[in-house]
Amino acid sequence: MKKILVVDDEAIVRTSCDRTLTPEGYDVTLTASGKEGIACLEKETFALVLLDLKMPDMDGMEVLSKIKENWPETKVVMVTGYSTVDTAVQALRVGAYNFIEKPFTPDTLLKAVQEVFGPSD
Amino acid sequence: MKNILRNPDKSIAAKLIIAIGLLMIILSLIFWYAILQKQEKDVLSIATKYGRSFVNFTKASTRRSMLIFDREETQRVLDTLSTPEGVQGVQIYDHRGNIVFSSKSEKAGNSVDRTSIACTGCHSNSESGELLTETRKLFVHRDEKGKTSLHMVESILNAPECSTAACHAHPESPEILGFVKADLSLAVLDEALLKQGLALTAYVIMFVLAVSIFLGIILYKIVSKPVNELVQGMEKVSGGNLENTVQVRSDDEIGKLARTFNSMIRDLKGARDQRERWTQTLEVEIEKKTDEIQKTHANLMQTEKLASLGRMAAGVAHEINNPLTGVVTFAHLLKKRFPPESTESQDLDIIIEQSERCAKIIKNLLTFARATPSEKGKVSINEVLNRTIFMVQNQAKFHHIKFNPDFADKQFVVVGDGSQFQQIFLNMFINAADAMNGRGNITIRTRGALENEKPYVEIEFTDEGCGIKEEDMPKLFEPFFTTKPVGKGTGLGLSVSHGIVKHLGGHIKVKSTIGKGTSFFVRLPLES
Repeated sequence: MKKILVVDDEAIVRTSCDRTLTPEGYDVTLTASGKEGIACLEKETFALVLLDLKMPDMDGMEVLSKIKENWPETKVVMVTGYSTVDTAVQALRVGAYNFIEKPFTPDTLLKAVQEVFGPSD
Repeated sequence: MKNILRNPDKSIAAKLIIAIGLLMIILSLIFWYAILQKQEKDVLSIATKYGRSFVNFTKASTRRSMLIFDREETQRVLDTLSTPEGVQGVQIYDHRGNIVFSSKSEKAGNSVDRTSIACTGCHSNSESGELLTETRKLFVHRDEKGKTSLHMVESILNAPECSTAACHAHPESPEILGFVKADLSLAVLDEALLKQGLALTAYVIMFVLAVSIFLGIILYKIVSKPVNELVQGMEKVSGGNLENTVQVRSDDEIGKLARTFNSMIRDLKGARDQRERWTQTLEVEIEKKTDEIQKTHANLMQTEKLASLGRMAAGVAHEINNPLTGVVTFAHLLKKRFPPESTESQDLDIIIEQSERCAKIIKNLLTFARATPSEKGKVSINEVLNRTIFMVQNQAKFHHIKFNPDFADKQFVVVGDGSQFQQIFLNMFINAADAMNGRGNITIRTRGALENEKPYVEIEFTDEGCGIKEEDMPKLFEPFFTTKPVGKGTGLGLSVSHGIVKHLGGHIKVKSTIGKGTSFFVRLPLES
């Protein structure tokens, strides 16, 4: 199973990811904050984390650093608004695999995910 | 001249004239008085002389009739002698003071008053026989009307024939037998003296006046006029008029003063003209600078206004991205449930299309919001260019665009906000990509440049796009000016870039050929 963890404070973004990726055969876990995401990562292994950059309690960059520190195998795709594109570039330097911009279409999301796993069967 | 007369205390000439005039008057008065006194003395002396002659003549005339004791003859002679004008009377006294003969016959037989000159002329008093000096023998009397008369006495000395004469025979012993007294009027001489005195006074007044006028004219010409001209000239100069010069009339001290004054005015005028020229240059310079400041200020205001508008919009826009993700995703998901040709599918396409349009608007608004000024620091232009190229290469828009960096070996360091420079470069890339419809080469060059002897870095962005129309050139940097289709551009990109570059003391220039491509040259001042 290709396990994906979605970390985003916005419910509609989480749902969008779920509804786009689950039908494609991905095992999607949804969390609403960085803390929750880290908690999930501690319990089980995920191949990919879709991580929002701008969150209220724990910043996306902080979460990214923790993931890269503790689970280096896990790939991270940053989800960002355009205004934080600078941070996205920084994120790529820190170790993010890629970034996509909000609002994304299901195709954009799938493409980014497929780049990580390779095309689904 | 009027000033001198009006304010004598304020004029040197007037003071001199008054001083000399007063001196002249005083000297003239002394002179006048001395002459009058001398004249009077001389006239009196002559009168005395003639008076004495008259008395002696009387004595001689009456001698014969007296010797023969012819009283009538003596009286007749006296009457005759007193006839001429000026002779008031003639009396002959005996040695006791009794009037023996008188031209006025009523007086004959009277005794003379002891205080009369008839006695006091010779005697200190009536008791002693002491004879006094010659001067006492005349007496000048002035009556209430101011008429002067001369009274003279002359003794009749005893002679041998007086005692030997047959008639009445005086004794031999007394030395003096009697005396003759004459009263002579000096009215004619008074008149003459008065006339002379008046004439002299008139001469003196005329002399004083003539000397005063002469002195006045001389002083006016030599002192007052040139000094007044100098004063007027100085007043004009102090009032700001430097065009007038003072006429130099002489080679004396005042002339020298006038010459020095003129030279001073020339110097002053020169200095003033120079100052005016400087002021003018300064004014032009200030006007120019004020204009520049106003333009910069206007630009800044515009940038700041737009920036705050952008910041506000960005806050909203950022939040809209999340629901928009939902709209797009669910529209896509729903679309999969309908056949592509169905009306539902087409309607959903419109939703997706319009959502994407919203996304683009938001993206541009957020781009604009990024133009807000932030922290300044030393920024390496090459590094920022590389970072921006790296960032955009991963975006779909640039998938078919080739970046050709052609950087100078030198590392150019500029003072500013790195994210702002990235903003500018990103704008250049987006515009280039749009101009080439997402396909082609973008060449980026860096080079050093000198402008007004100050070092600059010039960054060139050249695309192979459609080019910019000549008529669009002037509007290129205006906010909200765009040639992109509706919904594709906000028209803020270049305006914001221009604002940032201007603020940093640089500028952006454009060269474009329709159909061939466009080059933007961004010049930024290097860190000194």
